[in-house]
Amino acid sequence: MFLFPFLFAALHAESDRELAERLKKRDHQAMADLYDKYGRLTYVLIHRIVRNVGVAEDLVQETFLRVWNRVQAFDHEKGALGPWVMTVARNRAIDYLRSVDGRMSQNAFELETSESPALFANLETEVLNSDRARRLKAAFEKLTVNQRLCIELAYYEGLSQSEMSERMKQPLGTIKTWVRTALKALRDELGEGAV
Amino acid sequence: MTCEELRGDYELLALGILDRSERAELDEHLSRGCSECTSALRRALVTNAYVMTLPPDVPMPRSLRKRVLASIGAERRNWRWIFYAWGAVMAGVLLALGWFSFDQRSNTQAVVSFLNASDTRQIVFPQGRVFVNATRGVLLLASNLPRPGAGKTYELWVISKGGAPKPAGLFDADAQGNAVYMYKAPVDLAQTGAVAVSVEPASGSQAPTTTPIVVVHL
Repeated sequence: MFLFPFLFAALHAESDRELAERLKKRDHQAMADLYDKYGRLTYVLIHRIVRNVGVAEDLVQETFLRVWNRVQAFDHEKGALGPWVMTVARNRAIDYLRSVDGRMSQNAFELETSESPALFANLETEVLNSDRARRLKAAFEKLTVNQRLCIELAYYEGLSQSEMSERMKQPLGTIKTWVRTALKALRDELGEGAV
Repeated sequence: MTCEELRGDYELLALGILDRSERAELDEHLSRGCSECTSALRRALVTNAYVMTLPPDVPMPRSLRKRVLASIGAERRNWRWIFYAWGAVMAGVLLALGWFSFDQRSNTQAVVSFLNASDTRQIVFPQGRVFVNATRGVLLLASNLPRPGAGKTYELWVISKGGAPKPAGLFDADAQGNAVYMYKAPVDLAQTGAVAVSVEPASGSQAPTTTPIVVVHL
C-alpha cells in the first residue's frame, strides 16, 4: 500500500503554519498533532532506510525530539514544516547507517547543514500534496533500473555519486548522467508550481 | 559553470551527499545570492520531500506515539511501566551478580570499580545503558533484546570514527532478552564514534553481517 491516503489526511489537517506556531509555544498537544500528521511518513521513510523495526522506532523518537528542540529556529511564517521534518528523519536514519558501516564522519557536516530550519524558509508551507505524490511515483516507475537504483542509493542509503560509482562498478560520468536524468524527470513531473 | 549546469546538483546538495569538490561552485553561486540557484535549491527541497514519501507503507507500532510524546514530557508517566522497567533493571542486576558469581571477587570488583571510576561515562539508550571507560573498556546493560535464533548470538562492536566496526566479543541474553556484557580492553574514546550490537553466528564474525539491533553514539 502506498502512502497517498496519509498525505491526503495530512493535507486536510491543520495548516503547518499554525502547527509550527503552537510548537514554538511549547504546546504539548501540538507535538501530538505533529506526530499524527507526519509520524507515519517518517516511520515508513526511516524503516525503508534502516530496515529494522526497533531501530526505526528509536530514530522516529529521535526525529521528533530533535524537531521539538530545534523548532524555535524554524520560521513558521515562511517555513515548510513537512519537508523539514522529513529531512530530519532521513538524516537520522542515514546518520545511523553511516555510523554502522564506518562512513559517519565524512559527510556529517553536510547532513547537519541540510536540515537547518532556515533552509526550509520561503517554500510553500503546505508543500506536500497527494496528487503531486502520485505523479512523482508514476515518474519514478518510468525511470530505468539504473536510474531508480541511483535515486534509491542517494535518498535511502546516503551515498554520494563517487560512492555509487564504486558500489555499482560504473564510471563516475555514467553515474552522474543517470542521476541527473532521473532527477530532471522527477523535478519536471512536479513542475514549477510545486514550490 | 552556469546555473543551468549546476541545476542537477541541488537535490544532492540538499541531501548532504554532494562530493566536496562539486560543492564549492554551488556554494559560490548561493553565497552571492544568485536568484536562479536559490530558486533551484528551493525546488530541490520540494523534490526531495516528495521522493522521501515514495517507500511503500509498513505496519506501524501503536506504542510509538506514546513513546514519542513521553520523550518531550507530553504524556503522563505510566507508573506500571516504570514498575516493570525497574523490575527489568533489578533482574539485570541479579543477572549481573549471577554472571559474576563464578569468579565473584575479581569480576564484581572489576564492575564496581568500572562504575565508580570518575572517568567512566554513561550513555542511556532505549533498551539500556552503556558505560565506557578509556582504560577499562565497555560495559553493556541491555534489556528486551530480540531472540537471536538458533545457532546465533550477540556480538558487540566498537566503531571508530570513519573506520570499520571492530569486534568486541560475543555474549548471550536470558529468556527475557536481558544481557550484561563487559568488554575489557582500552578504548580510544576520542576516536570512537559508537558501540553497536548485532546478531551473528555463534562463532562470531569479523564484521557485522546483520543490521545492528543496538547502536549507541558516544
